[in-house]
Amino acid sequence: MTKQIKQIAIYGKGGIGKSTTTSNISAALAEAGYKVMQFGCDPKADSTNTLRGGEYIPTVLDLLHANARVNAYEAIFEGFGGIYCVEAGGPQPGVGCAGRGIISAVQLLKQQDVFEALDLDVVIYDVLGDVVCGGFAVPVREGIAEHVFTVSSSDFMAIYAANNLFKGIQTYSNKGGALLGGVIANSINTDFHRDIIDDFVARTHTQVVEYVPRSLSVTQAELQGKTTIEAAPKSEQADVYRRLAKRIVEHTESKTPTPLDQQELRDWSASWADRLIAVERQSQLLAS
Amino acid sequence: MTAHDLKTTLGSAKPIVDKTIVEKTHSIEQIRYGCAIGAMQSVVAIPRAIPITHCGPGCADKQFMNLAFYNGFQGGGYGGGAVTPSTNASEREVVFGGGERLTELIGSTLKVLEADLFVVLTGCIPDLVGDDIGAVVKPFQQQAVPIVFAETGGFHGNNFTGHERVTRAIIDQFVGPYDGAPEAGTVNVWTLLPYHNTFWRGDLTEIKRLLAGIGLKVNILFGPESAGVDEWKAIPRAQFNLVIGPWLGLETARHLETKYGQPFLHAPALPIGAGETSAFLRRVAAFAGLDKDRVEAFIADEDARYYKYIEDFTDFYSEYWWGLPARFAVIGDAGYALGLTRFLVNQLGLIPARVIVTDNPPEETRGLISAEFRAIADDVAVDVAFEEDSYTIHEILRKTDFGHKPPILFGTTWERDLARDLKGAIVEVGFPSSYEVVLNRSYVGYRGALTLLEKIYTTAVGASA
Repeated sequence: MTKQIKQIAIYGKGGIGKSTTTSNISAALAEAGYKVMQFGCDPKADSTNTLRGGEYIPTVLDLLHANARVNAYEAIFEGFGGIYCVEAGGPQPGVGCAGRGIISAVQLLKQQDVFEALDLDVVIYDVLGDVVCGGFAVPVREGIAEHVFTVSSSDFMAIYAANNLFKGIQTYSNKGGALLGGVIANSINTDFHRDIIDDFVARTHTQVVEYVPRSLSVTQAELQGKTTIEAAPKSEQADVYRRLAKRIVEHTESKTPTPLDQQELRDWSASWADRLIAVERQSQLLAS
Repeated sequence: MTAHDLKTTLGSAKPIVDKTIVEKTHSIEQIRYGCAIGAMQSVVAIPRAIPITHCGPGCADKQFMNLAFYNGFQGGGYGGGAVTPSTNASEREVVFGGGERLTELIGSTLKVLEADLFVVLTGCIPDLVGDDIGAVVKPFQQQAVPIVFAETGGFHGNNFTGHERVTRAIIDQFVGPYDGAPEAGTVNVWTLLPYHNTFWRGDLTEIKRLLAGIGLKVNILFGPESAGVDEWKAIPRAQFNLVIGPWLGLETARHLETKYGQPFLHAPALPIGAGETSAFLRRVAAFAGLDKDRVEAFIADEDARYYKYIEDFTDFYSEYWWGLPARFAVIGDAGYALGLTRFLVNQLGLIPARVIVTDNPPEETRGLISAEFRAIADDVAVDVAFEEDSYTIHEILRKTDFGHKPPILFGTTWERDLARDLKGAIVEVGFPSSYEVVLNRSYVGYRGALTLLEKIYTTAVGASA
């Protein structure tokens, strides 16, 4: 009997800190002794940069572009703590089909039984959160990832993207697809940020896995081409990521979320906008 | 692969360059195979199985017309031709995904068509836009509908690739796990590509007759001699798998070896004629551990009949003074090409002038195929060419030295005009055979070889009429 490999997909709106969070989770897990693969599913192909000193690696699709047949191992590069780094890659912007690229890349590794051969404990897919077509939904289909997490800030656009992802999960939920583990709340520095995200998860019947504050140490580490775990292992932020990684690797029960429909989402964000204005007025009154 | 091997290949990112591959023209004139969804015909080849195609308009019809109509005029069968349901995916399915349409089609199909097995095959559209076919099919499977799916978009490969995918889908999604004891003396046969190989029905019938003759219980799996899904369900119980042909079926046999722990025997050459067939049967019998006396009795009986006809034939063969061909070329699938070449050289003493393999075998199998052709006989080796474009193929054949006698070409309808230009004879043995009407004719085994001799020399003497 082969061991069960924990396969996790992390989605989130572009620029929200998804790759930063994912790489730190991978790094924390590697540090804790797990055999980890991080699989970047974004045509930008920069998911694993901070695991390899800021370096870009050739992508699966680069190799498929050059050769009809590809040995999947040629697309696997070792990074910090022995993490296996893979980037799906994609066509140059404006041409081809990036979604099909993701499908081809994921299938190539699956067909060659790479995960089993490398004896992995955890595979983390870092996926572009705007699930624009079927290709970007591949990691949440049956037989690939079992648990989905989404990275979101309290920014409304990020929450819209998360809500869209929930819709995708709901679509596949009764057909054996992955279920939602929860929201990784990123850049949460004030109670107000926390309240917004708490309210959103309550309404959509999910949970916050961890609140990750915005921190200068993350930016500093990224500028060195490193994760916080590697660059500032003793920092408070590194401990936040370790806690997050532990929660994720120990997570077993995922659920179907109840996404808000368009009107509900509009009403919900409007109510928060009203509260925001009220808070701002109050602070102006206090100042004067 | 060992851990050390893994380490050494990790991140090497070196392009794989095979210098033996002929430079491609990147265009194909006069096709010699269908696309992956052409494997819908493999489903049709299973008694009482029906393919359901999820593809654009025209895909299914073109595959059927090419593989089953203008190729021996084999007909639609139980679930092929006009019966095969299709989503006829259009722009709507491209933009919004075709999952709903497919669900609707499967539902409607179940209302009006009765089958023991349905196989959903996808075309390029759903595979490109990423329709989750597994998620569509699963609810039906959960309701105990005998249905599986295979992703067969044309960009995955040709109909040979599609055939392996369909086979695997049925094994994994329909046959399922098995951990009982193997049944001694039962064999699963993986060989010719149904419909594509124009004579597959007769050939599978002869192969089954031969294997049964030496004492095996045969799951032939496709064609009129198959017991349909019951035979497929019995796959895991078989003692072993038998792959006949240089490469097609090997992937399936390896999968079955992993899945059920079944060993397999690989016989690269399709047996044609008594010499080849008797050797083949002895090899199978030894592998299966069959009763030697029974095997030898069967072979002796078959040999006796075969050589009686050959004896009569030799009067013609040695005395016919108006010109019989001496040099030949074979243009066809690796499987048929190898079997034919061995028969023509070893049984008739003809000289191979050129052999061109046209089914685009996987790169990793080409070494073995070439080696088989290098070892046709102790003193006969053929340098086989792998080529799919008919323009190039015909250019090669025009430059081939066939000696002073008219050549004979074993090929397809595409070689008709060329044969006329070369003032030679043509025997259509492969896809497409548009000037052959084929029912149960076979060219393999003992009986098939006699039919092949009739065909070759009827063609040769007919030329002087």
